[in-house]
Amino acid sequence: MAYSFPEEVLEHVFSFLSSDRDRNAVSLVCKSWYDIERWCRRRIFVGNCYAVSPEIVIRRFPELRAVEMKGKPHFADFNLVPEGWGAYAYPWIAAMEEAYPFLEEIKLKRMVVTDESLELISKSYKSFKVLVLTSCEGFTTDGLASIAANCRHLRELDLRESEVEDLSGHWLSHFPDSCTSLVSLNMSCLGSEVSFCALERLVARSPNLRTLRLNRAVPLERLANLIRRAPQLVELGTGAYSAEIRSDTFSNLADAFSACKQLKALSGFWDVVPSYLPAMYSVCSGITSLNLSYAAIPSSDLVKLISQCQNLQRLWVLDYIEDSGLDALAASCKDLQELRVFPSDPFGAEPNVSLTEQGLVSVSEGCPKLESVLYFCRQMSNAALIAIAKNRPNFIRFRLCIIDPQAPDYLTLEPLDAGFGAIVEKCKELRRLSMTGLLTDRVFKYIGSHAKKLEMLSIAFAGDSDLGLHHVLSGCDSLRKLEIRDCPFGDKALLANAAKLETMRSLWMSSCSVSFGACKLLAQKMPRLNVEVIDERGPPDSRPEGCSVERAYVYRTVASRQRLDMPDFVWTHDEDSSLRYS
Amino acid sequence: MDNHLQLHLALSNTSTHNMLKKRKFDESFSDDEMTSNKRTLPLLIWNDNRNLDSGCVDVEGDAVVGWPPVNSRMRKVAEHHRRESTASNYVTVDNGGGGGGLNWMYVKVEMEGIGIARKVDLGIFGSYQALTATLMAMFGKRREMYKLTYRDKEGDWLLAGDVPWERFVRSVRRLKLLKKVW
Repeated sequence: MAYSFPEEVLEHVFSFLSSDRDRNAVSLVCKSWYDIERWCRRRIFVGNCYAVSPEIVIRRFPELRAVEMKGKPHFADFNLVPEGWGAYAYPWIAAMEEAYPFLEEIKLKRMVVTDESLELISKSYKSFKVLVLTSCEGFTTDGLASIAANCRHLRELDLRESEVEDLSGHWLSHFPDSCTSLVSLNMSCLGSEVSFCALERLVARSPNLRTLRLNRAVPLERLANLIRRAPQLVELGTGAYSAEIRSDTFSNLADAFSACKQLKALSGFWDVVPSYLPAMYSVCSGITSLNLSYAAIPSSDLVKLISQCQNLQRLWVLDYIEDSGLDALAASCKDLQELRVFPSDPFGAEPNVSLTEQGLVSVSEGCPKLESVLYFCRQMSNAALIAIAKNRPNFIRFRLCIIDPQAPDYLTLEPLDAGFGAIVEKCKELRRLSMTGLLTDRVFKYIGSHAKKLEMLSIAFAGDSDLGLHHVLSGCDSLRKLEIRDCPFGDKALLANAAKLETMRSLWMSSCSVSFGACKLLAQKMPRLNVEVIDERGPPDSRPEGCSVERAYVYRTVASRQRLDMPDFVWTHDEDSSLRYS
Repeated sequence: MDNHLQLHLALSNTSTHNMLKKRKFDESFSDDEMTSNKRTLPLLIWNDNRNLDSGCVDVEGDAVVGWPPVNSRMRKVAEHHRRESTASNYVTVDNGGGGGGLNWMYVKVEMEGIGIARKVDLGIFGSYQALTATLMAMFGKRREMYKLTYRDKEGDWLLAGDVPWERFVRSVRRLKLLKKVW
């Protein structure tokens, strides 16, 4: 019984719980467990920054050390969320400054972060250690300079895929000579050249450096010196991988690589000169992760490289690899778990490479541990998908993008319903699915019936009617995130499944058939759902009744539904007058 | 088609589905309609290309916003490789590397009043602001005192900033910074 255990003991027991789900479960047992747990929770993950407010978080968890948060919905990556929509980090940073003087980690994804925020972070927390900004924007290299200069115990500075206004490379020189704590530095998204001397000195005085991801401006000639100063590196992102072909540059580089006995992950490789790839061969047998998604390497050179990497678990590559390269991958890399093939010419009308559905079929046949795929191609067939599903029932993530939306099975001209149906039927552990191609309501019936563990679904240009959406909302028990664009889904399915929406993190629908009236009704029925109508054409009620809204973003929230940072193209339920939108 | 509204497991709807499928099949896949069907995607009605400067590439004038779903980083990579493959468009080739075949998007930059020109790789910038900031730093001048002009592929000199960034990058051949007189 709770009273027979002193709090300290319970706290100690709880300290072994790292998963949020476990901690949430614990806090529901009884009031005293709720109280003890909230005082000792150190890490928090907020999947939607608007689902809760800083005040609520701070009130419940007074002793946090690490905060991880996501802002804009995923489709923001493809410009479907207008600029100025929101996801500002500053209010959170400002609120946490007072509440968490011992904060150590901040990880943000798809949020707008300003230089002011970065400066505030750098000056507020004496033991700040980890800053990870994934796909963020709104800051410049001046903000980075503040972080470098003021965070004395900085361990991680990771700017993955963020859009940084690059004023100059000076920021790196702001790391004081006394800073020796760096474990991870990822500056790959930056454009400017940093001072190579400063970079070399920084690397040399960071004995714990495990991850170093350089930007394109670091030339190949400099790479050897950098690696030499950090033979303990586990993850390396090169800069530009091109130089005049010279044997001394080559042997210098090859020597440097051979000293890196712990290297597991490689990335970078802008502007690759394939003749320099063999300089890396000495480390290939230990490599488990290879990101070549910026590298235009012809298939034959790719094959030579990949066949050296027998322990490869993750490969991200451009479609230059072609079907032949994927055949080789299937033959050499039996430990492969994740494959992503990106399009080298996504906007071209004609295929520029020989990459088809066959490559994916080969890999699914040859790689027994393959569980996660993102594949861009220009043709697909039901037969291929059915074969893939039979070969690989262990898929957890399956994302297929056929460049031409609504492309049918190229062999039979039928919809791809049967193919995707096979995927969801066979892959019982499937958690994430993205579909493209010609798809009718039938595929959604299959998904609703079989995809019981599906958590995230992305749909585009698919379906015939509301029935499709209804199948998904009523059938997918584990659904958390649903994002839809350009589908004939509308009011009926939405309103019939209103309660389901509260069990999910969010629903995004753009260019569908959702009316403003339905949005108002939904918001009225469900007080804990925020129904955002995002429409740049002006007030939604100035248009005729049946007119569809441009975008609807529906998410559960315990915060106010009238967020203070709403731009003028967003409408939500007006709490004061329940029938009017502001 | 009111039986669509009965939202239960739709065994009885199979025939409706087949009808729908058949109709769609007939409508959509008669020979000469195959391509025209692709042009009537509903979203084209509201896509008035206003998202061009945020990265939607206008390929044939009726591009679909945010499609294919590649993020801005990948789009830049694709754009870079596309320029690479139409190498006849290149004016300046300043590649330290032999072989490999991939050049950076270098263009010459002149500043009025300064004898020695510079070269800059446009591929590493994402916006006019980033470009101008770097140029100012390169020449050691203040931003307010100069305006950026460029020569396009037709040989005309224009003031930079009017067209969306990605269009600019595709058409620019030379840059020149002129002193502002106002």
